[in-house]
Amino acid sequence: MDYNELINDYLDDANGHLNAFDGALLSLEKSGYSREVIQNVLGTLHTLKGNSGMMGFDSLKGYVHKVEELFKRVLDDEIGLDRVMDLLFDSANVIRNVLQEIGKERMVVTGLTEKTSAIEEFLEGSDSGSKKQEMELASYLGTKTDTIKVDFKRLDDLLNLVGELVIFKTRLNQIGERIRAEITTKSLGNELDSALELMGKTVSGLQEGIMKARMLPVRHVFHKFPRMVRDLSKAMGKEIRLFFEGEDTEIDKTVIDALEEPLLHMIRNAIDHGIESPEKRIAKGKSREGKITLCASQESNYVIIKVKDDGRGIDFDKIRELAVERGLITEEATFDKDAALSLIFSHGFTTRNEATDVSGRGVGLDVVSRNILRLNGYVDLEGSPGKGSTFIIKLPLSLAIIPALMVEAEGEVYAIPMSAVDESLKAREEDIHLVNNREVIRFREMVLPVVRLNDFLGLNAARQKKFYLVIVGKSDKRLAVAVDRLRGQQDIVIKSLDDTLGKSYGIAGASVLGDGRIVLIVDIMSIYKKREVTRNG
Amino acid sequence: MAKISLPPSGLAEEVLEGIGDEPDELQLVTFTIGEQYGVPISQVQEIIRIGNITRVPNSLPYMEGVINLRGKVLPVLNLRKRLKLPEKGISQESRIVVVEASTKTLGLLVDAVSHVIKVSPEIVEKAPEEVLEVDSDYITGVCKLKNSLVILIDLERLIRRENIEIPQGEGNNGN
Repeated sequence: MDYNELINDYLDDANGHLNAFDGALLSLEKSGYSREVIQNVLGTLHTLKGNSGMMGFDSLKGYVHKVEELFKRVLDDEIGLDRVMDLLFDSANVIRNVLQEIGKERMVVTGLTEKTSAIEEFLEGSDSGSKKQEMELASYLGTKTDTIKVDFKRLDDLLNLVGELVIFKTRLNQIGERIRAEITTKSLGNELDSALELMGKTVSGLQEGIMKARMLPVRHVFHKFPRMVRDLSKAMGKEIRLFFEGEDTEIDKTVIDALEEPLLHMIRNAIDHGIESPEKRIAKGKSREGKITLCASQESNYVIIKVKDDGRGIDFDKIRELAVERGLITEEATFDKDAALSLIFSHGFTTRNEATDVSGRGVGLDVVSRNILRLNGYVDLEGSPGKGSTFIIKLPLSLAIIPALMVEAEGEVYAIPMSAVDESLKAREEDIHLVNNREVIRFREMVLPVVRLNDFLGLNAARQKKFYLVIVGKSDKRLAVAVDRLRGQQDIVIKSLDDTLGKSYGIAGASVLGDGRIVLIVDIMSIYKKREVTRNG
Repeated sequence: MAKISLPPSGLAEEVLEGIGDEPDELQLVTFTIGEQYGVPISQVQEIIRIGNITRVPNSLPYMEGVINLRGKVLPVLNLRKRLKLPEKGISQESRIVVVEASTKTLGLLVDAVSHVIKVSPEIVEKAPEEVLEVDSDYITGVCKLKNSLVILIDLERLIRRENIEIPQGEGNNGN
């Protein structure tokens, strides 16, 4: 193992300890002194100190030692907990910065002497005669765990192999059918059948197992935010508490990673725009403390993440006013909730006149909708003025294997991710009407724009009398995609397309079918984008 | 210069066997697209027959599409179109040469694969521009053999150039 790998391992570990430290601080702040919490945190810091020393980061080791000292004094009732809280929160930041530095520079650059002596002075000022606490020998061992750490790349490779195995299984089944038709020995045919069936079950089990191994509770991303909420709300003079619901819901790690940034923007938005100041809240008859809740739940193959706040909610009139003022919409334009949503999620739109440190630059929510759409998911927003708002994200459980609707256009099969599909129906040329020179269709009291997949993908469009419409999207983004034929639903393994092909606009990736053929996955998001462009230009 | 003739299958597995590594010798896989072209054998992964090629809408005009290479989705470049040579349909002799360059793997669609040849690096000359029908940007040099000429292709450059060009039909600037 070379030095770099050692550092990576060290950092992995150290960041875990730091998170535990942070968590302990928050719990101490919330619930006050707890001997158990402090004892746990001492163990954590001790390991961090030991590891840092082993890696030769002596200044960090010295600093952590002083932080440990602080806790020990608190434990010995020599210093009141409330007197050291700020210093402790500060120390978590110091450690975080140093760890980030190590990540980048592979060494500690910043001097910690000043920070260390600051704690030292504090300690000396409070009381000097501290007795050294002896660690019990057994506590060096820590606790045993039933988990092991695996490099995620290995799981990714395994999933790829399983994906291929699934494809071969389908192929083998097809070959099996043909063999079955040819052989005359009945017993041999039965044996073949049962062998294929058993193999199928094993492969499915394997697939499920690998998918599960890649899953993490959503807590891993949720728990990154308490500290941010605390710091941001303090900085803005607000009082906000963060709650979690369904934090044990498990999601594929790639989805967890992809969730971080959108959540960050939504929570930031809730703190800055959603929750009011304590005075305003009291004036409105609400509790002084604002509440932000992160919820996660599973619905069949999707995970639903909600960011709820009990703040001022979305003021649709104000949004309309601003949009008219800035020439984004005309005074006469019909303005409903859906129109407001697409404004909120568009780039550069902000209800603020001046940007604050936290938000107001108009970037943020557009990042959210873009990131989520890229993951084959959807964002929605609910709420009413005065009562708060809720952002709702719907994502597939896994990014690697997704259910898709197979459709046909110009003799080629394409896949549309099921997450985008609402329903599908048969249609005739007569059902399509022209409004403003654009094709639309009446669908359940609504008029939906029609996008022909042939046209969209730039294929030769031989018009057919009968065809199918796939209704995709939600609320204002709903539209009907016209395809020649439907070919049923199927789980597909997503493979990305190499960029040597060019941008391949409209295609999100490819998948290999059981018979070895390749299907292209339609990028629903780009259909919206193209419509935006043609609408605005 | 040793010349190894190709088995009727034209498949690399059968050709590549029994070729020893001799230092200071350049081994080239040669193929035809009108003229004779060659790429270093070290960059060639395999040579395959043309199977089902799936066209990718809105991709670069000279990209033929993608194929399934043992479960991997492999992009295929039509070398004729890339070098702006007159088009020629796919025939029995057509092959896909799977190459690796700039950490990417892709297939080159060629008219036919001819030989694997060994040449000494000294006989590679800088390409005289006037004799070439194609853009000399993608040419490393020319190998003059007894009675023929092999044009060496610079795969890295061939791939790098593609990423700069903007395909048509790109309707959005991504905000």
